[in-house]
Amino acid sequence: MELNEQKTSQCVILGITGRLDTTNYNVLEKKLLELIDDHNEKILVECSKMDYVSSSGLRILLMALKKITMVKGKFVLCGLQENIREIFEISGFTNIFEIYGTQEEALKVF
Amino acid sequence: MKPLRIKFPKITFYRGIAFRYSIFFLVAIALILFIPLVVGYGTSSVLIMLQAKNDATTKTNQTVTRIENVLQPTELVPQTLVRAMENPNISNNDVMRIAREFILQDPYVFGTCLAFEPYQGEPGSYWYAPYTYENNGNLRSKILGSKIYDYFKMDWYRFPKITGKPAWTEPYYDKGGGDTLMCTYSVPVFRNLNGIRKFVGVLTMDVSLAGFAKIVSEVKVSDTGYGILISKQGKIIVSPIASLTDKNILDVARQGKGVGTMWAIRDMLKGNEGFSNMDGLEAKKRPSFLSYAPVPSTGWSFGIIFPEDELYDDMNSFIKVMSWIFGISITILLITTVLITRRMTRPIVRLVEATHKIGHGEFDTKLPVRKSKDEVAQLTRAFAEMRDELRSYIINLEETTTAKEKIESELKVAHTIQMDMLPRGFLTPDNWDLYAILNPAKAVGGDLYDFFYLDPEHLCIAVGDVAGKGVPAALFMMVTRTLLRAKALAGIPINMVMESINRELCQDNPNQMFVTFFAAVVDLKNGTMEFCNAGHNFPLVVDGGVTVKRLKERHGFPLGVQERGRYTSGFYTFSDREVLVLTTDGITDALNTREEFFSEIRLQETLLRMAGKSAREITTGLSDEIEKFSEGTDQADDITILALQYQVITDIKRDVMNYEMLKLKNQLTELDRIAVKIEEISEQWNIPPKVSMELNLVIEELFTNVVFYAWDDQSEHEILLELTMTGPDTVQVRLTDDGKPFNLLEKKVDDVFDKPLEERKIGGLGIHFVREMMSEVLYQRSDNKNIVILTRKF
Repeated sequence: MELNEQKTSQCVILGITGRLDTTNYNVLEKKLLELIDDHNEKILVECSKMDYVSSSGLRILLMALKKITMVKGKFVLCGLQENIREIFEISGFTNIFEIYGTQEEALKVF
Repeated sequence: MKPLRIKFPKITFYRGIAFRYSIFFLVAIALILFIPLVVGYGTSSVLIMLQAKNDATTKTNQTVTRIENVLQPTELVPQTLVRAMENPNISNNDVMRIAREFILQDPYVFGTCLAFEPYQGEPGSYWYAPYTYENNGNLRSKILGSKIYDYFKMDWYRFPKITGKPAWTEPYYDKGGGDTLMCTYSVPVFRNLNGIRKFVGVLTMDVSLAGFAKIVSEVKVSDTGYGILISKQGKIIVSPIASLTDKNILDVARQGKGVGTMWAIRDMLKGNEGFSNMDGLEAKKRPSFLSYAPVPSTGWSFGIIFPEDELYDDMNSFIKVMSWIFGISITILLITTVLITRRMTRPIVRLVEATHKIGHGEFDTKLPVRKSKDEVAQLTRAFAEMRDELRSYIINLEETTTAKEKIESELKVAHTIQMDMLPRGFLTPDNWDLYAILNPAKAVGGDLYDFFYLDPEHLCIAVGDVAGKGVPAALFMMVTRTLLRAKALAGIPINMVMESINRELCQDNPNQMFVTFFAAVVDLKNGTMEFCNAGHNFPLVVDGGVTVKRLKERHGFPLGVQERGRYTSGFYTFSDREVLVLTTDGITDALNTREEFFSEIRLQETLLRMAGKSAREITTGLSDEIEKFSEGTDQADDITILALQYQVITDIKRDVMNYEMLKLKNQLTELDRIAVKIEEISEQWNIPPKVSMELNLVIEELFTNVVFYAWDDQSEHEILLELTMTGPDTVQVRLTDDGKPFNLLEKKVDDVFDKPLEERKIGGLGIHFVREMMSEVLYQRSDNKNIVILTRKF
């Protein structure tokens, strides 16, 4: 998995490329905690290049959502692949995450 | 406990005893009073009528007598004078003088006239009739007779002249004479002239009708009754009814409605005396009575007419008063009766109210207290007894029910324990297929089945049937099963196992219970079976759908019968696709509503029909068939079916094309190897990317779980992952570890969804993925290993 961070005036865009699983979820966890500690309270996770996610990965995303919601920030996902979207649906995460089809769409909400 | 509910009809006053009793009572009283009233009325009206008749007749006769008293002197005096006139010594003037004296004295006669034949009274006078009459108390005289007043043509002169006898005229108005309404009595005067008795004139007496009017008007009968005096011709001489004056009674009567009226009047005119009904002669023509009698001297008739209804006026007003009294009495009676009967029925009403309450379960309701010993008091006492009985009955029932419910809930728990004890994970090598079901007739049953591995290549299967049902049978069954597991795992031949179990069961068996038992050890590798049948039903072997055969071998008594019993054993070698079906007699003995048995034949037919199907389909199919057959009849005995199918196939594990295996260490880094392997086989077996990803995800979740939780130590362990292509579109995943027992199927994950963010936990999400994404999930704890088998169709 590779993480790609891009800071804009509106928010931080965090791109995930490859597999997010039990072996590497801690990398993402660390990165997100860093961002939140640096008062980046508006985060957009770009998932178009993420082709696998397991429950460990979902756990990190849920943790980030909870933390950012507590400081009244915004945590948004975009560009989920079809298979990934199904996993989100099965887990019921589509009901609690703000998910947009494309990055452009997502940026409008910040 | 739900209170008994009894619906009582609401008693309204209108339907109550009080009301009905009062009504009956009043009707009776009314009838009793009414009859004499009616009879009295009838009798009284007849009596009143008779009395009225008598009264009227008497009054009629009295009046006639009074009239006669007027008329007699009026007749007698002129008769005497005329007789005197035959004496030549008596002059006309003498006669006139006496006559004048008479009219002065007699109140009714007001005029007298001596009228002569032409030239007989006064020489040279054609007419000569000296007339004297009373006017306002003075006497006046004049000579009648002229061309205008030609008395020779008048009735009063003509009648006596023609008949030679005295006569009364009809009433007439004497114009130029008396100038009033009158009747005249004329007596012919005869004189001897030259020896011949010759008519020379008449002497008359005029009677004013006003005099009779006084007499007649004095007649009083009822309120408007009136008298009527009529002449011989029917002319009304006097009557107080103004409209009748001067009319003929026949003309008036003809206007009446009834025939009776004419008849009565005609009879009256004939000069008869009588009493009759008629229509009144007055304008209203009310139904009336007529009493009549003749006035003999003149040939007149006198009648009294009085309306019928007035006759009864007094009686009617009496009846009216009586009716009022009657009505008031009945009302008072009604009120008293209602009050009395209500007072009498009040305890019943109270009893009814109490009954309502008791009916609704309020057993503490007080019943009305009655000191007397009447019927109501007896009823109340009887009712109190019933209430007490009912109360104690309900208390009893509640206690019994509670006890029963307790037993039932305990039995439910026992049922769960018993069912849970039966092996459920039907995990067998791929060429073996095993399935079993047990449907107890009661909450707990005496049937049993079991299967377990003796070692990885030997499977022990068993089916038994304890004589009897219910809790004792269930306990005996538990003991048998426990003994089987204990003995069989010792690794001794199956017949020895049976002998051993038998011995144990025979000891301390005061209830003389026993169990028919079939047990076998199957060699999974070469498809053979060593079995021992201890008095159980013969097992059936179904081949590819052509025949069903029974393994008719017995190797000893049922277990628990004979302590020193010896048991032998038999061998069987399975052919390809043969199914061994073990049953208990609950199947063949199942009854339908026509009391027919399911029977061995039906069992075999059903099995043949299902040949070629899986063990699961055969057992559940057979069970369904029995249920259908029984048509809802209560299941009499426990039903147990165990099916074991064998397939001779080349060991699919060696088929490299369809089988992949990974031996993994308990480290998360192994996930990469898993991902690579799945990618590899997905390409090889044409698994769609979506399914491939799901397999990867599910395996990762299970593997991670095992790595984190299976072992408490930190040492290295092996986890076996096997992937098999079991069909053209079916992948089977098998994950085996020797860690702590963990049945993922028992883990509850329902609460991970549909919760707000704050309550969302991540635990259980992995297992949720497994269940959602896989077509079938099986778990087996075997040989101290956890085996999870996942099937995914695509």
